[in-house]
Amino acid sequence: MLQRKLVTALAAAFSFGVAGTALADINVGVTVSATGPAASLGIPEKNTFDLLPTTIGGEKVNWIVLDDGSDTTKAVQNAKKLIGENKVDVLVGSTITPASLAMIDAAVEGETPMISMAASARIVDPANPKTRWIYKTPQSDALMADAIAVSMKAAGIKTMGYIGFADAYGDGWLAEMKRSAQTAGIQVIAEEKYNRADTSVTGQVLKLIAAKPDAVLIGAAGTPGATPQKELVARGYKGKIYQTHGVANPDFLRVVGKDGNGTLLPAGPMLVYEQLPDSNPVKKVAAEYVTQYEKKFGTRSTFGGHAYDSYLLLSAAIPEALKKARPGTKEFRAALRDALEKANVVATHGVYVMTPHDHNGLDNRARMMVRIDDGKWVLVK
Amino acid sequence: MRLTWSTAALAAFLVVVAVAPVAAPQFWVTLGNYIGLYSIVALGLVLLTGVAGQTSFGQAAFVGLGAYASAWLTTQYGTSPWLTLVVGLAVTALVALALGFITLRMKGHYLPLATIAWGISLSFLFGNLEFLGGHTGLSGIPALAIGPLELKNERVIWYLIWAIALAALWCTNNLLDSRPGRAIRSLRGGLDMAEAMGVDGARLKIVVFVYAALLACISGWLYAHLQRFVNPTPFSIVQGIEYLFMAVVGGAGSVWGAVVGATLITLLKQVLQDVLPQILGRSGNFEMIVFGVLLIVLLQRARDGVWPWIEKLLPRAPPPPVREAPPLAVRHHAATDGALLEVRAARKQFGGLVAVNDLSFEIRHGEILGLIGPNGAGKSTTFALISGALPLTSGEVVFRGASIGSRPPFEVARRGIGRTFQHVKLIPTMSVLDNVALGAYLRGSTGVFKAALRLDRREEALTRAEAARQIARCGLAAHTFDAAGSLPLGQQRVVEIARALACDPTLLLLDEPAAGLRFLEKQELAKLLRTLKSEGMTILLVEHDMDFVMGLTDRLVVMEFGQKLAEGLPAEIQRNPAVREAYLGGV
Amino acid sequence: MDLPIVALLAQDGITNGAVYALLALALVLVFAVTRVIWVPSGEFVAYGTLTLAGLQLGKASGIAGMLAAMAVVAGLMEIASAIRHGEARGLARRLLLWAGVPLAIAALIHVVAPLQPPFLVQILLTLTAVTALGPLFYRIAYQPIAEASVLVLLIVSVALHFTLLGLGLWFFGAEGSRTPPFTSASFEWGSVTVSGQSLLVVLTSLALIVALALFFNRTLYGRALRATAVNRVGARLAGISPTFAGTLTFTLGALVCAFCGVLIGPITTVYYDSGFLISLKGFVGAIIGGLSSYPVAAAGALLVGLLESFSSFWASAFKEVIVFTLIIPVLLWRSLTTHHHEEEE
Repeated sequence: MLQRKLVTALAAAFSFGVAGTALADINVGVTVSATGPAASLGIPEKNTFDLLPTTIGGEKVNWIVLDDGSDTTKAVQNAKKLIGENKVDVLVGSTITPASLAMIDAAVEGETPMISMAASARIVDPANPKTRWIYKTPQSDALMADAIAVSMKAAGIKTMGYIGFADAYGDGWLAEMKRSAQTAGIQVIAEEKYNRADTSVTGQVLKLIAAKPDAVLIGAAGTPGATPQKELVARGYKGKIYQTHGVANPDFLRVVGKDGNGTLLPAGPMLVYEQLPDSNPVKKVAAEYVTQYEKKFGTRSTFGGHAYDSYLLLSAAIPEALKKARPGTKEFRAALRDALEKANVVATHGVYVMTPHDHNGLDNRARMMVRIDDGKWVLVK
Repeated sequence: MRLTWSTAALAAFLVVVAVAPVAAPQFWVTLGNYIGLYSIVALGLVLLTGVAGQTSFGQAAFVGLGAYASAWLTTQYGTSPWLTLVVGLAVTALVALALGFITLRMKGHYLPLATIAWGISLSFLFGNLEFLGGHTGLSGIPALAIGPLELKNERVIWYLIWAIALAALWCTNNLLDSRPGRAIRSLRGGLDMAEAMGVDGARLKIVVFVYAALLACISGWLYAHLQRFVNPTPFSIVQGIEYLFMAVVGGAGSVWGAVVGATLITLLKQVLQDVLPQILGRSGNFEMIVFGVLLIVLLQRARDGVWPWIEKLLPRAPPPPVREAPPLAVRHHAATDGALLEVRAARKQFGGLVAVNDLSFEIRHGEILGLIGPNGAGKSTTFALISGALPLTSGEVVFRGASIGSRPPFEVARRGIGRTFQHVKLIPTMSVLDNVALGAYLRGSTGVFKAALRLDRREEALTRAEAARQIARCGLAAHTFDAAGSLPLGQQRVVEIARALACDPTLLLLDEPAAGLRFLEKQELAKLLRTLKSEGMTILLVEHDMDFVMGLTDRLVVMEFGQKLAEGLPAEIQRNPAVREAYLGGV
Repeated sequence: MDLPIVALLAQDGITNGAVYALLALALVLVFAVTRVIWVPSGEFVAYGTLTLAGLQLGKASGIAGMLAAMAVVAGLMEIASAIRHGEARGLARRLLLWAGVPLAIAALIHVVAPLQPPFLVQILLTLTAVTALGPLFYRIAYQPIAEASVLVLLIVSVALHFTLLGLGLWFFGAEGSRTPPFTSASFEWGSVTVSGQSLLVVLTSLALIVALALFFNRTLYGRALRATAVNRVGARLAGISPTFAGTLTFTLGALVCAFCGVLIGPITTVYYDSGFLISLKGFVGAIIGGLSSYPVAAAGALLVGLLESFSSFWASAFKEVIVFTLIIPVLLWRSLTTHHHEEEE
């Protein structure tokens, strides 16, 4: 009995992938970290794919969304499954840098373009020939770190301390921030690490304060970013506190409460699109997305914007590729890759101008300094 | 070879492995490769946890050592992956030796926790070492290549992965069916029994631990070159728990449990990922919830895992017959001057309690000596002092002119002292033949390497023949191939005696052999002991049952309150008023 | 490193250590009586904080639904077991206990939560709801295989941990929560400042530990549990049903965990997956106590808290490496100096 059930279940499992996706349609394979440590980033991304239209350029689009649990092995398995079973025309994902880096080989071997939603610039490093197939939508750490350095320099800050996640996100930020700070003549005099779910960061914060930096940057994503901030405030730290764009979601504001007042962070324009001048082209696109998102899922998260931007890139590139080949073919995937490389798209996080040497395509228009004022994001003009 | 169901099933499995990469869809091949990798690690756990009883959560860290060693050397120095495999194995062996040396001394629940501790330490270390790519990871690892053939294609590397997995399976299976294998099985449930058979338990545990670690390392090396990217998450404690999961769910008692477990867990996750969104919609993440629930239900239904359940469906192959073989080398039993064993002023204190108080007596060649006394008189402690299970506080135990007091049990056994246990210690799932063959451990020399490569068949044939002879000697020939646990208690005690005889002892120590036996069983046992004596065996009998002892022994030593109360012929003892007062309650 | 810093680190370590100690006690208790290594205890802690945080916002935050679902499952299992054994006697009572009571609690929370009751009522609701989950999960997951080996029970624990983690993500979301502080008082003591919140955590933990000690020494049920812990077979012969002992133990364990959750809510942000590391550290304490000695377990947990606090000051990147590496010699020492009974098959 059990045996028969198992067989039926297995048969069902392996036929869904094939039966569910007709070859004539455009298939987009998505893998996001909707569970595991990066869940707070992955969930708004996953939600966003629920909002997307099912046709692009008059062709039917299937969004096949899988969860990789923030695990690199699973992300690669997902990528291989999407390429091998679902015959996708393009991969989107994953949420975090290690998973995205790990997927590169699978994408390149499957000759399938991939749009990552992770931070590190290493994913689209032009020096690596494999990245010919790889694109990414989020602003690179370097771009954001520069914004912080500029803001610090303007505020007359000479020394800074850093406390960040003991993971790829925290490591990436630390490396980029050191570089940007050096350019701006700011010294990084203390570096501390903590884990996302740590119950206490007292030790790290005491050490930071003992070094007496003019400002502290917290390299964290989501509500865990509040832990060091609250500790810094509780221990009477008087300098400026900076956060990264990783915390730009409403839950962070809820948890950090009044201890967040005055905190500065760089963020994509969609976070504060209401405060942008009408002349900014991003405003209209961001408004459209955020309205849709908030109607269905509650308050906006900038991570959902990365997912939406990948859709916007595809909706620009797919019609171009359709002129050259039919979906489901090797030629279509190659054409899509080429079309993505010529994309010039206004999106929620800025304006993407892709070139063979820049597969991210964002510039200074993709970052704004934002201040937290009484539980609200306020654009620093 | 006759075609049995099991060999047919095995052949079918091999055909699937051989044909799959040619015939199966791409993604099935991908999954198959991962299943192969996981099976290799789970196989180590079957041996370490399922068979030897040493729970480890840290295997993922060894996988990481193998993966990182190769990833770092190939990307930084362009070393050949085949060389890095050797380096990885060497590093893993060293780390496992060091960790095993420290942690395997731990008993009970200290060991699993210690494995969690170093599992976490190592995986966090990977993330904090700059040269290993930190938390972000190392990319650009080359694919494996055999000469000009690059194993980049998953359908090609399949053969390497499964060749290694099958080789590991073969070796582990061989190992379990061998001299060291029987010893490894005996590690479970404490070292007492193993050490009494002459097994150096602490050393053997480390050997098994290193074996499991090396398998994990090989899996990691394959992983690095399959994935061509490494970062710390696949080697975290969470993955370590998952490997243990695979072994237990598959059935940690059998090598096939590893493959079944790895397959089941991998496929289950895949199926849930596909099926659940169809049923429950895409809004939540139900995979983890349903995964956990299914496993709980599964373990409630089949707590020994899935493999024993499959095995029941396959008809059992008959055990290979025992062939005639020349006897194993026999120890020199010639009588030495004086007594065979002398206990000289032996003393054992537990804190303030003196359990054995300067006790002295001797055992002479060829006699049956009975050691009796009321409950709590110190008989069992004395027994433990002679067998080496407990160290002496002071005094001496001299066997054939050499001091054996406070020596570990396996050294005592090596000198020719065999023993049985008050509470029967057999491996219940193993056949009587294998249980008795374990007794002959000291008379063989096959090590793990030889056993794994099946170079031990000649010695194994001799051992089996010897075990069969001892079983026949004790009158249990009809039960040679029965599982030891299926016999009634009386016969289990006799199996223990046969096992003790298999080590060719000069002195046989029997710890309350008549306890719990029925009248007829006792008579049978007495008959057997008399026969053994007539064949020249010396026996020390610790007993509670006066009737049993009186008719059987040559001399008696009576203990009370840790001291010797009386010594003499049974008839004298029976008349001794002090003994009657103390032991017989003044009857 | 001067005195105020040492004092602050020690205070931080002791505060966390007190929470770990409570968990260690729960783990020792559960293991001693049922042989279950209770991996999902951490999820109970997280559920405690997150439920309270949900009630703050006037939401029943899924805990009510979960209770109701578990009640239905437990009720069905009782009916199935009655059918299997052809034994209808006492079924009504068991159904009331296993399904009725949790359903009533779920209904109560569902009704009261939107009314935003006072903080103390919210805490009581939280404790009741999370505590009720303990025996339910024992009934559903462990009781059917109560006699299995420690390894199998452990694997069931891990599977349950996965399930609770998934449920936690579903009900509470990926983002963390905090609860408001019980007190904002702080005490100056020379150059050393002690926060009232930390003091409260330590004192409450101590009070709970004393209460548990009294329970075990003075009450009939407590003695019954102790008897079971010392000798399972003997206790059974003396008329203490293992099912009853298991149920009672898991109720107590869940209560202690719920308390932990309420206590740490104000001092840290808790996420749906925070529990595992917290319970792991409690587990380390419990193991140092040999899974049998309560005072040593509590001391071990304090040691972990202090180690963690000081190593996060010295070398935060290597914190976990330092904590878990230093634990190994302690374990070795404990293992070599503790007398063991025959190891379990």
